[in-house]
Amino acid sequence: MKVRVNDVELDLAPGTSAIDAVFAAGGDVPYFCSQEYMSPIGACRMCLAQVGAPRKERDGSWVMDEATGQPKIFWFPNLMATCTTQVMEGMVIDTLSERVKTAQNGMVEFTLINHPLDCPVCDKGGACELQDRSYEFGDGLSRFQFDKRHNEKHHPLSDLITLDRERCIQCKRCVRYFEEVPGDEVLDFIERTAHTYIGTADHGLPSNFTGNIADICPVGALLDASSRFRGRNWEYDHTRTTSMDDATGAAIIVDARTGRIERIKAALNPDVNKTWIDDGARFGHEYVDSSDRLTTPLVRRQGKLEPATWDEATAFIAERLKGLSGKDVGIAVRADATLEEGVAAMALAEELGTGQLDHAPRPAATLIGNQTATITDLATADAILVVGDLTEEAGILDLRVKDALKGVTPPTLMPHGVPIADLRLKERMPRRREILAVAAPYRVDLMRHAGTAVHYPAGGEAAFFRALGKLAADANAVLVEADEAATGMSTAQARALVARLGAAKQAVVVLGGLALTRRESAEAARAFIKAVGAKELAVGPMANSYGLELLGVLPSHERYGYAGMLEGSKALILSHLDPAQDGEVAERLRGKDLLVVHDIFMTETAHLADVVLPAASVYERDGTVVNLEGRFLPVRAAPVDAGSSTDLTGVARALGEAMGKRLEGRSVRSARRVLKKRFDIDFAELPDTGLLPRTKGRGPAKALAGEAPAATGNVLVVPSMARAEYLSRNRHLAAAVGGNRLRVNPEDAAKHNLTAGAEVRLKVGGTWRQAVVHVTDGVPRGLMTIPSLPEQPVGLAQADLASIVVEQVRLEVAS
Amino acid sequence: MNETHTHTQTPFFADKQEKLAEILSRYPAEGRRSALMPLLWEVQREERYVSEERMRELAEIVGTTATEVKGVMSFYSTYHDQPVGTFHIQVCSTLSCALAGSDELFDFLSNELGIVNGETTADGRFSLQKVECVGSCGTAPVVQVNDTYFERVGRGRCQHLVDALKQGELPPVWRERGGDTVGAAKAEPLQKPTDVREG
Ligand code: SF4
Ligand code: FES
Ligand code: FES
Repeated sequence: MKVRVNDVELDLAPGTSAIDAVFAAGGDVPYFCSQEYMSPIGACRMCLAQVGAPRKERDGSWVMDEATGQPKIFWFPNLMATCTTQVMEGMVIDTLSERVKTAQNGMVEFTLINHPLDCPVCDKGGACELQDRSYEFGDGLSRFQFDKRHNEKHHPLSDLITLDRERCIQCKRCVRYFEEVPGDEVLDFIERTAHTYIGTADHGLPSNFTGNIADICPVGALLDASSRFRGRNWEYDHTRTTSMDDATGAAIIVDARTGRIERIKAALNPDVNKTWIDDGARFGHEYVDSSDRLTTPLVRRQGKLEPATWDEATAFIAERLKGLSGKDVGIAVRADATLEEGVAAMALAEELGTGQLDHAPRPAATLIGNQTATITDLATADAILVVGDLTEEAGILDLRVKDALKGVTPPTLMPHGVPIADLRLKERMPRRREILAVAAPYRVDLMRHAGTAVHYPAGGEAAFFRALGKLAADANAVLVEADEAATGMSTAQARALVARLGAAKQAVVVLGGLALTRRESAEAARAFIKAVGAKELAVGPMANSYGLELLGVLPSHERYGYAGMLEGSKALILSHLDPAQDGEVAERLRGKDLLVVHDIFMTETAHLADVVLPAASVYERDGTVVNLEGRFLPVRAAPVDAGSSTDLTGVARALGEAMGKRLEGRSVRSARRVLKKRFDIDFAELPDTGLLPRTKGRGPAKALAGEAPAATGNVLVVPSMARAEYLSRNRHLAAAVGGNRLRVNPEDAAKHNLTAGAEVRLKVGGTWRQAVVHVTDGVPRGLMTIPSLPEQPVGLAQADLASIVVEQVRLEVAS
Repeated sequence: MNETHTHTQTPFFADKQEKLAEILSRYPAEGRRSALMPLLWEVQREERYVSEERMRELAEIVGTTATEVKGVMSFYSTYHDQPVGTFHIQVCSTLSCALAGSDELFDFLSNELGIVNGETTADGRFSLQKVECVGSCGTAPVVQVNDTYFERVGRGRCQHLVDALKQGELPPVWRERGGDTVGAAKAEPLQKPTDVREG
């Protein structure tokens, strides 16, 4: 479609909005209400332009302008909001005339009438759309001589978001966001006319995706409560990186100032998270700044851990290793180590000649399936089956499933990026709920959006998929009672589900961690996925679970896996793992000849160690992770002051030197040389949005089974958006989610004398866990749920109910 | 993070299932949220306000959130989220009435009753509220007491109105039509204090 913007001629796809035409032409109009990936509504009237178009005669020919001999342009009588105007053949858009300038000027003046202009004390100052646009398009004068409207300036919408009601310009971005993106309508305009303000009746904003509104608010009305008044925008070092909070690999920007992370914002990755992240990824960083961070190595001398230099610490380790046979040494890294760290761990293992190498947590089943879907496949699927709690486990997938429900394909990028006003998106779009089925042993949030929501018995994933598999093999099969119980569905329901997946053009089955804990369930699931011709997305437990498996940070034999080495090795090198939380394991660790712990805090295990090495947190590493769709994503270090801590490549260098060896993986650069050979990718040049190599026959280096956890139990360890291991140090997030939640059915709560809000301690497996009781009918009778830890991965476990100690009962009742 | 709230009060519609079904039947299934207005009205008429708990109940009925209900409700001055007095006095403050002196009228009422905008007297008899256009601009200024309109309310008429209300009774309305129907001559002149008792 031929369009002219000022003097630039363009050829645009039909359906493009006039505002995108202007930007595509390299022009500029101010706007406040339009927002990438959301519906354009024409609320702020800031994007006005003079728009005209030629007209056709009855016979289809253009009405001609006699003077010029060209089609005559008929100008619309009024200025048009370009965000809600669709381009037409021959349209002419003028953004530079006096008339447009006067209108822009007037709109700036109008928008500022009741705005407090408190930019000097506003967190948004320096990065504020209103501020910028007022400078660019206003004339700096106001004729409004009266008192401004006053309103609440520090309104806590939740523990995470503070609202300044005076600054709001009623663009409606935040209100639309909640309805359109997560589908949790927890904000709205209250009152009307000049009295309108943003408010809620759902106190505390019950949604896992609240932080995004602080990013999109064009003014300083909605603010990240954890970073309020912490710094000015121009003081922050912005590091564009990848979130290591879960396996989705969302793009984030880490803002640090004077060596401290102040806040995290969402960044754009159209193929992964668009511009959204969940609250775990945004607010889950406060622990990094805890005052008890380890900043220097510690070495045990005369029974006591004492500060030492890196040279002393590594010399100590090298000395001890000399007395040991290398194959007696076990090396384990947490599953969010980067690929580069993985190379370092492998090099170290090779140097020592040990097969006892692993990453943990690692599910029993491989994550690298044969028909792995991309996240975009999921967002454009026409039939989806989700097993597990995606909202907690991989928030981005939850949002992308909701994209699929709208049935609007991701927009084509324009020269200026994501379209500002995608006219296919509307407020309150109908959702194709019928394409989504969600199954879990307890009530999960995504069920609210699903056409089919079913509960199967905890631990019954294998039976669930086997029963469905019968129908996939024979559409006329009848489920016996046991199968109906296993699926939580009647034969008719299950048939409909299987038929829908089978008939779909693009069916995706998302396997949450619960479906991967046991090998038999993953096998049943994959057999079913194959039978219905779907693609799969397996959600690994941590940020680089997929990558470490792909790279092969794996034991040479099943019995040399993580659990095996805790038991059988004589010496252990553990990175970011804390197995000593389990009392029995702690006992065993005491008997080791050498225990080296590389971590950021004095964990239970660090207390038992011979050498403690200070580690770089996930925000302080350069490297690469591979997300659950197999996309290589760059991780970049934010400038955080953390003493002499380093990642595992640094450990490999220092330890190598002490052993007189130059190990591969002794630096990120050296590790990347190894990776280049392996994957034929230059990891130093990895684009921000990552790389998804679609090579055939991608597969794990070695397919191995992890440890098989119990198949029975009374407590289900579940994924949690707020990571349990750091929650007590993540003050704001902890307040918002109500602590580590032990979710209990009301009947069980009564039986075990548990009141909502009680802070309890209980033994799950061998580990003492602290939790806050939440009473809810969302979990079935006889089952409790508790968030997972890296050392206590998802799946069934046995809690010692007799061991429950009530430490404190909070006054206000949580739930 | 979405836990359902437990209700402490008996649901409003617990014993009014027929009424509820009737209201819902007026709208197609996919337009269930449209039933919000009549449902709010049912609650408001009986309880004289709509509490947050009722908002949650209605939200569940029509399949939305309490926030949405509050947003709709607060748009209309008809609905209250606080209990209002026996006499709920609403003074129109939109343009026509403002030009006809509703500001002064409001200040007068505020002085007489000793409360400001949005307040209720301690004895629970009066609530005073400024509202937007009540749709009777031709007979500005307009004061609405509960469901009754009092039109062309000059100072005298207002005094009379307040006196009657203080006695606990709603005075009979005087019917005024706008200038168009009765002619400018018969219409009450603006600003001049008159008293209905004097005719
Ligand atoms: S709070 Fe911010 S995003 Fe929400 S309507 Fe106001 S200005 Fe817009
Ligand atoms: S009216 Fe707000 S961007 Fe167009
Ligand atoms: S302005 Fe008062 S009734 Fe319309």
